[in-house]
Amino acid sequence: MSILPPAQADSTEAYLEASGPRLADLCTSCGACFDACPMVDHIDLRKSDVREVTADIRRLARGEPAGPAAVSWVAACTKSGRCRSACPEQTSGLDAMLLIRIAKQRALNVTHQLASKKDQKTFPRVKTFARLQLTDEELAKWL
Amino acid sequence: MAVTGDRITFWFGCNILRHAEIIRLSILLLEKVGFDVSAAGGPAYCCGTSYDGQPHAASAMSARTVSRFNDVATKEGRGTVVTWCPSCHMHMSDIMAPGNPTSFDVTHITELLTSRADRLAPLLTHRVERRILLHRHIGFATHVAVNEGVHGLLAAIPGLEIVDGPAVPGHMCSALEAVPGALAKAAQETWDAASANGCDTLTTIFHSCHRAMAPTDGRQGVALRNWVHLVAESMGLPAGDAYRDWRKGGTPDVSAIERAGEKYYEQLVEPELRKAPVVT
Repeated sequence: MSILPPAQADSTEAYLEASGPRLADLCTSCGACFDACPMVDHIDLRKSDVREVTADIRRLARGEPAGPAAVSWVAACTKSGRCRSACPEQTSGLDAMLLIRIAKQRALNVTHQLASKKDQKTFPRVKTFARLQLTDEELAKWL
Repeated sequence: MAVTGDRITFWFGCNILRHAEIIRLSILLLEKVGFDVSAAGGPAYCCGTSYDGQPHAASAMSARTVSRFNDVATKEGRGTVVTWCPSCHMHMSDIMAPGNPTSFDVTHITELLTSRADRLAPLLTHRVERRILLHRHIGFATHVAVNEGVHGLLAAIPGLEIVDGPAVPGHMCSALEAVPGALAKAAQETWDAASANGCDTLTTIFHSCHRAMAPTDGRQGVALRNWVHLVAESMGLPAGDAYRDWRKGGTPDVSAIERAGEKYYEQLVEPELRKAPVVT
């Protein structure tokens, strides 16, 4: 059972907007998150300078452009969560997974270093699958 | 915190609508152990996690979904939202709740069933003579010990032997799709581990893993089942798997296709069903 945290902003957009710089300030660019990430090998970044990459993550979270390694890394996040538990600043309130998520959002929406890959047919596809299988009653309740 | 009463909202998510029987069986399991279940999901209850590129739209989706859960918590006493999807669960905990006042708590279906394991165990009356490899991811452990939870639930099934599979990256298979080669590597490792360990069944925890693995069902004599299918089997309940069957060359009934819309079926569903398997 998870007790949900209290609201800290008027919307998720506002929460994420405020959290980027706040989390970036807590980060010391030690690189523990990067070292713990299982995706780094998949994208051939293991030999990167971890301090440089994580400093760039902080820049992205503040809405500033970052180098290609940091952009590639945030794009490859699969929410393994290893960064969160590896972070020595977790006890100070730094959620490394959230910081990286926000960095990715900034790369998509602010610095435009990533292009959105959202499939606009996702919901129509899901609805069609549902209509193949659900009863009228289920469709009325669930779709 | 204990579940407040037996009235719950089961928030099944969006993409699991490909697997209607998993939704129905999940509801049934929750009811069998004593919960009064109201199910909600689909696009109308989107968490917004897939909309990182559209923060304003994502924010509106989050607000709408939280508002609906607040309503039923207040008006119907459904103060617990029970998740299926790890993306929805994490998004609610990490992003939706800090951005919206909530009148409810969340728990994952495996946590809730585990909390009523004493009521579930007597219902598992049929032996399930399978040796399964449990397909696991390392993600989501930040929020819920789901690998251990599913292992524990399945361990109560008479006749079932469980081998824990390799814990692959990500929180579920769909997360790996964006990284070239990552899903294929994880799937290959998993199917190979099933064969190497003499398993006759590969068991998925999440819907997106089931979707990714479905066309490989039967590889080297290893069948694919979700954990919910196995619990249902042990309860003597029918547990078909339409998506898996369609993915392996079957097609829905003509009447179902007509009902869904032939054009939509051809444009949206068929390309997915005929996509090459990740592992052959």
